[in-house]
Amino acid sequence: MRAGQVKSSGATAWARLIRLELARVMRSGGVTVAAVLLLGLGIHAAWQGNRRIQAAEDAAAVAETAYRDQLAHLISRYPPTTEAGELLYYLALPASQPVSRLSALASGRTEVESANLRIRLLALEGQLYEQETLNPRLAAAGKLDLAFLLIALIPLFVIAVTYDIVSGERERGTWDMARLFARPRRLLAGKIGARVILVGGLVTALALAGAFLVEAPLIGASPTGIDGGGRAGWAAALVALHTLFWFALCLGVATRRRSSTANAMILVGAWVALTFLAPAVLSLANAVLHPVPEALELTVRQRQGYHEAWDLPPSVTMEDFYKDYPEWSDQTVPEDEFTWAWYYAMNHRGDQAARDASLAYRDVLTQRDEWARRWSLLVPPLATRLALDRLAATDLASQLAYQDAVRRYHERLKAHFLPILFAAAPIPQVDWERVPSFEPAAPAGQASQAGFPAATALVLASICVLLVARIRATRAPGRTEAARFGPTDRAGRRIPGGRR
Amino acid sequence: MSNILLIARRQVGAMREDRYFVFLLGLVAALGIVSVLAARHHAASEAEQRARYQAVVDRQWAEQPERHPHRVIHYGFLVFREEAPLAFFDPGVGAFAGTSLFLEGHRQNSASFGDARHATAMLSFGRLTPAAVLGLLLPLLIVAAGFASVSGEREKGTLPLILAQGATPARIMAGKALGIGAAAVVAALPIALVTAAFVAAGGGDQPAVARMLALAATYAAYLAGWVLLTVWVSSRSASSRAALARLVAIWVVLCVAAPRLGTSLANALHPMPSRAEFTAQVEEAQRQVGDSHNPDDPFFSALRDEYLARYQVASVEELPINWAGVVSREGEAATSRINEEQHQELLAVHRRQDRVMAWLGLLSPHLAARDLSMAAAGTGPEAVEAFRSQAEAHRYAIIQRLNDLHTHEIHYENDRAQRLARQHWTQFPVFRSDLPSLRRVLADRPLSLAALGLWIALPLAGLGLGRKRLPRVGVDRLSR
Repeated sequence: MRAGQVKSSGATAWARLIRLELARVMRSGGVTVAAVLLLGLGIHAAWQGNRRIQAAEDAAAVAETAYRDQLAHLISRYPPTTEAGELLYYLALPASQPVSRLSALASGRTEVESANLRIRLLALEGQLYEQETLNPRLAAAGKLDLAFLLIALIPLFVIAVTYDIVSGERERGTWDMARLFARPRRLLAGKIGARVILVGGLVTALALAGAFLVEAPLIGASPTGIDGGGRAGWAAALVALHTLFWFALCLGVATRRRSSTANAMILVGAWVALTFLAPAVLSLANAVLHPVPEALELTVRQRQGYHEAWDLPPSVTMEDFYKDYPEWSDQTVPEDEFTWAWYYAMNHRGDQAARDASLAYRDVLTQRDEWARRWSLLVPPLATRLALDRLAATDLASQLAYQDAVRRYHERLKAHFLPILFAAAPIPQVDWERVPSFEPAAPAGQASQAGFPAATALVLASICVLLVARIRATRAPGRTEAARFGPTDRAGRRIPGGRR
Repeated sequence: MSNILLIARRQVGAMREDRYFVFLLGLVAALGIVSVLAARHHAASEAEQRARYQAVVDRQWAEQPERHPHRVIHYGFLVFREEAPLAFFDPGVGAFAGTSLFLEGHRQNSASFGDARHATAMLSFGRLTPAAVLGLLLPLLIVAAGFASVSGEREKGTLPLILAQGATPARIMAGKALGIGAAAVVAALPIALVTAAFVAAGGGDQPAVARMLALAATYAAYLAGWVLLTVWVSSRSASSRAALARLVAIWVVLCVAAPRLGTSLANALHPMPSRAEFTAQVEEAQRQVGDSHNPDDPFFSALRDEYLARYQVASVEELPINWAGVVSREGEAATSRINEEQHQELLAVHRRQDRVMAWLGLLSPHLAARDLSMAAAGTGPEAVEAFRSQAEAHRYAIIQRLNDLHTHEIHYENDRAQRLARQHWTQFPVFRSDLPSLRRVLADRPLSLAALGLWIALPLAGLGLGRKRLPRVGVDRLSR
């Protein structure tokens, strides 16, 4: 009975401490304004994210409709005796990759890359790398998605509410008084608890607003599929861990006996280093270590490989073609006249010529992706960003997976149409309803594969920061009362005889 | 005057004693040098690569065997966008604009393979370029140098002493600004020197020097605004801590949040059609034109009647010229016109979005300075558009010349079997693209120029109006 009373009175004290602190933090100038601004920005970003998803879905629908219109137009335009190969020269089939709900949170590369390609039966390499209709000026200015807000701006808010958590009291001279009411450790815990609740509430509000706006399947999503496998859960966990990392860092810095200004400078410096400098330096290193000359190489080679074929006897091209499609080697084409089978074999020759360069290009991009993933683990904001992009299937690896899916689709289309081309069949002999449709790429890896390394890295980084702070605190000499509470200059040194 | 210099010296002394600040200064200066060297390395290797492939493509064009001109229309031409000489200083929009453009008949392709396509999400945090160091990091360094400039004197109680010695508030603030400005100059100097050395090594021709001076003026004005703002905020704040908090908040809003918010607003106000939608639109519009591969297409029947009447013959077979070439030429003219119209519609959306950003520049000098910086470096959107339109003009000229060859050198009878001799291919012009002039791109940016002027004028006015109150700020609070 008595123990219960003590416990409950302890709990009430805690609650009061936290409530008082919360009220104080909220009263201090700017914090409420910043919180409201962040909330507004977050809702705007989530709304924009939702619009992006809808635009992507519209684009997929447009691609499908455009294909149907084009097919109807071509069929009506050519006399029925026309060979199907001629119609296929123009026909562009949709290959739309569905977007994940999470891409509203982490938009990744969706603004740069088109995920709604339309593929012709011609050489593929020239069709794979189409860019979205982006405005380069806007792209260069950077984008505001919810992930940026949570990864870059929320830490600044954390810094703003914690940098003077102890030093502020000391400088105001209220630390002594506060110590009368609670032990320093408990006081500190209460102060931090209040701030964690404040920031946690803000982040939760942002996440809920985002989830509500984009109708994200937080619970009950199918275990497979582009949003399945607990992807949203991992994303939420990563954001929470990342925010806690910043609390750990702030705690490590702010509980040392420095002045508020020194704390602020160090923490803002750390923010710049972690969210701008480290990613920029790593990005630069990545580009220098893995150069991509193959991008231009494959363009040049494909064009040359295809066009050279026009000046060669068809049999030469067909020999090359049979190497990749031995099942058709019993079919021959006439040497002295144009056939569509030969025409598409020439196109295939273009892809053959570009194959090495294309594979090398893909390899370099894969290396870049893996290198970035590995090294990003040292930089918490970067690790979180890359993991979120991967969970949302908007990263480089997902883009490469999409390209592979388009390649497979192109092959399936070829397999479907080759009998028609070799038979020189006219248009009415094709059953257009039975043309294969695009099979989207599966998400690259499991959700846990994307989330686990980053989560581990975040936890380790938080522990490291706290450990370092603890070791340095115990090593620090001269913890006299004067040294603790005397005013200090901007570099954190004590001012002898300075004003309180 | 000597008062001002004394106070400037005092400020420099305070900064030199501050080990955090000296460390930051060294870091920013070092980063500046690293950024120039790395960006220059990257730009040089890119330029070398593009030049190499351009040479390959030019040679392949000239060495074509005997070919039918329409074959060559489809063979087409590859051009690579050359970056401006100062692109290493500020890559501008370069990474997001394609670098290689395939020019062929019947179509207007978009340039592909920009740097951004090859980058991981790391790029979304920003790039380490000289322009980013000057535009993003130096303001923060200025804040670190000067947040305590006036408020620190106040806290230490030395402000009344300085005033008592006869320094007016205006002189104190001028001296402080001078001292902080000196720190900014020290941090920016390595970038300026290395950049100037590279420009000189590149031949140092007059346009490049003018562009470099424009860049220097842009960043000088932008950073001067930050120095003035820092002194202003510091003079108005009761404590250094409050001054620092305010300045960092201003930096976050202006340099980090505003550009991204601008992007988001511009996209929300003027949404862009996706690639899929744009392609579908072009396709739809193109359906009105006949198939120029088919000389009997009804779309060209009016043209046929006109030609038959002009040459007074009864059928196209009797024409002294090749009817298939005429149709091809006419078809190219029609499709090119439609493609260009569609593209201009897309560009109109870009321009409306750019307007939003330009107006936002009035609120965020960082946006305005970036806009002017990429204009001066020759890496702005107009440089990309100049390349595109010049390439399109080149494409059209080449294709129509091939169609003329088709019309006059190839007979209508047994058209497809004929070939033209190789020497024809060597007589085609080589593609050259020019940057829009510095004068023009700057004249196109009145809002950004005004924004930068305002950025200096506002804190200056604030300092001027607030100078009388300097001794009194925070007095009641300190005496409490």
